[in-house]
Amino acid sequence: MVTAPARIVPSHAAPADPMSLVRPVAVGIVDVWKSFGATTVLKGVSVTIGKGEFFSLLGPSGCGKTTLLRMIGGFEAPTAGEIRIDGKDVGGLPPYARATNMIFQQLALFPHLDVFENVAFGLRVQKHPKGDIAAKVKEALALVRLEGFERRMPDQLSGGQRQRVAMARAIVNEPSVLLLDEPLGALDLQLRLQMHEELRRLQRTLGNTFVFVTHDQSEAMAMSDRIAVMNAGEIIQIGTPEEIYEQPKSRFVAQFVGHTNLFDGKVVAAEGQRVTVDCAGTPIVAHAARPVERGSNVTVAVRFERIGLGAKETTIEGRVVERMFLGGAVRLVIGYSDDRRMTADIATNGVTPSIAVGEPIAVGFNSADARVLTS
Amino acid sequence: MTAITAANINASREARPRRLEPGALMIVPALLWLVLFGVVPMILLGCMSLWRSTIFGIEMEWNLDNYRTIFSDDVYMRVLAQTLRIALASTVLSLILSYPLAYFLASAKGRKKTALVLLVFLPFWTSYVIRSYVWLPMLGRQGLVNQVLLWLGVVDAPIDWFLFNEGTVYLGLVYVYMLFMTLPIYLSLDRLDPKLVEAANDLGARPAQTFVRVVLPLSMPGVLSGCTMVFLLACGVYVTPQLLGGPSAVMFGNIIASQFLTSNNWALGAALSVILVVLVLGCLYLAGLRWGLQRLFMGAGH
Repeated sequence: MVTAPARIVPSHAAPADPMSLVRPVAVGIVDVWKSFGATTVLKGVSVTIGKGEFFSLLGPSGCGKTTLLRMIGGFEAPTAGEIRIDGKDVGGLPPYARATNMIFQQLALFPHLDVFENVAFGLRVQKHPKGDIAAKVKEALALVRLEGFERRMPDQLSGGQRQRVAMARAIVNEPSVLLLDEPLGALDLQLRLQMHEELRRLQRTLGNTFVFVTHDQSEAMAMSDRIAVMNAGEIIQIGTPEEIYEQPKSRFVAQFVGHTNLFDGKVVAAEGQRVTVDCAGTPIVAHAARPVERGSNVTVAVRFERIGLGAKETTIEGRVVERMFLGGAVRLVIGYSDDRRMTADIATNGVTPSIAVGEPIAVGFNSADARVLTS
Repeated sequence: MTAITAANINASREARPRRLEPGALMIVPALLWLVLFGVVPMILLGCMSLWRSTIFGIEMEWNLDNYRTIFSDDVYMRVLAQTLRIALASTVLSLILSYPLAYFLASAKGRKKTALVLLVFLPFWTSYVIRSYVWLPMLGRQGLVNQVLLWLGVVDAPIDWFLFNEGTVYLGLVYVYMLFMTLPIYLSLDRLDPKLVEAANDLGARPAQTFVRVVLPLSMPGVLSGCTMVFLLACGVYVTPQLLGGPSAVMFGNIIASQFLTSNNWALGAALSVILVVLVLGCLYLAGLRWGLQRLFMGAGH
């Protein structure tokens, strides 16, 4: 079906992709398409995941991230394209013949087996010697800090403990690639933050490749070495969390990751990377990673928290429309030039700025914090 | 810490005054029904088994003669043993046939599934007697099967051993009661989370291993429930062996029926009934000790 040779580094990922250049490849996905009946859920996805990398597929629900993960695990077959694990084409291999293990969204612990037998399941069906099994299960349970729970049934465990059993059950098989399908979705925030740490620690200890699916951008940023942002069956941008956050390529990424003001306007001046954009009468000084022509229409993205009180390279005067106290910052919704709105998060540092709704205000940001979106 | 919570729970349990759960009154109609149609007839039956039947009717004179008669004549015990054997064998046969059917039904999807389940149910809208009787025009000397065999030239003369033996009784019983096996197994398989099968595959289990280690154990509640139902029903059956069994495959139900209907010895019939009931309850009790009564009847999981 696909005759093109497997490219080790997909072209669009190359510039911002130091990881895959230095690491051997664990998972190679080459121009993968997937349709269910008339709906196409993946439209030519290519990505290379390095060995030992913590890689996240981030996107809204229905973007195809879970389908992609399930294809790596062998639960769905691509309609077209190639999936390689450790250099081998795994097309047609069932899940039980792949060096991958999945942690399912609903965990899918075996309800009729206790913790020990749940964790031992993979080793038993692969006919490991009995003595080995006991030792390995013990080790895996120690890794997820569940010693002493061997004889509990899954319904006698808390959400966090079940989570750990699911992890132990997967890692005990020493998979080359561990697939995680939003496994933390059901946990409350405190527990989730704790599991983020735990997963990072596990991944560092084991050195396996982790492929993590999530719709939670803060989760993806906190844990990942690299993130692929997906939307509508396509990968929009691949990069480190810093790159994704600081240099979003598109409107979608800028809005999906973090909180962002978008200013649409026309370029009125360009000197190298420093450009001035006229947004309905308000001049905005911004940074353009790629050269832009005068007169072209562009969008400038500015993070809420990069906007401060007082004059900067760009200064906008308006009136406070809404004020929300967030703890570390005060969020101000500011109305300017007739009916336009922008949002600024002003750090409080222990002193809450005394700004009330309805008062006039001047806020500003520097060109380094105002990015011209490239696509 | 766990110990403290457990102690607290126990303490609060003991401290709580004994009160009826709200809604406890709702079971009264069901309880009445049970007493009226279950307990009262059983008591009557028990009393009658200790009386004496004469040609003038029942004499209410307490004695153990009926039981003495039954236990001194080994015909009754032989038939009882044969009944248990036939009931057990029909249960096993039903299980063997039902499991694949239930599995097939549970793995079907959407409209096809609805249609298939309906098809399985369809014969059960007909009376039990008719479903037993229907084998006569099918398997008799002039029956459908013989006609076809003759027409095809497979045999020269009609085969007459199709009917009136133990085999025909199995056929009839399995056909009549299989739904009680298929349904609970189907329900427990249908309830099985497909993600568990995926998880097993993911952990390296081949389809056969997944079946043995995940699907089968998780459908055991349905299997137990089905086996209990079919065994209980088959123990008390008398229409099917009467129609299809012939003289060699008499079951306990037939003996009881003949005491009431032809010999007019109600007291002996009552004593035979009591023995059957006690035996079946005994089997149920043993099975309940092993698996829990609730699981046997509800197919309730874990």
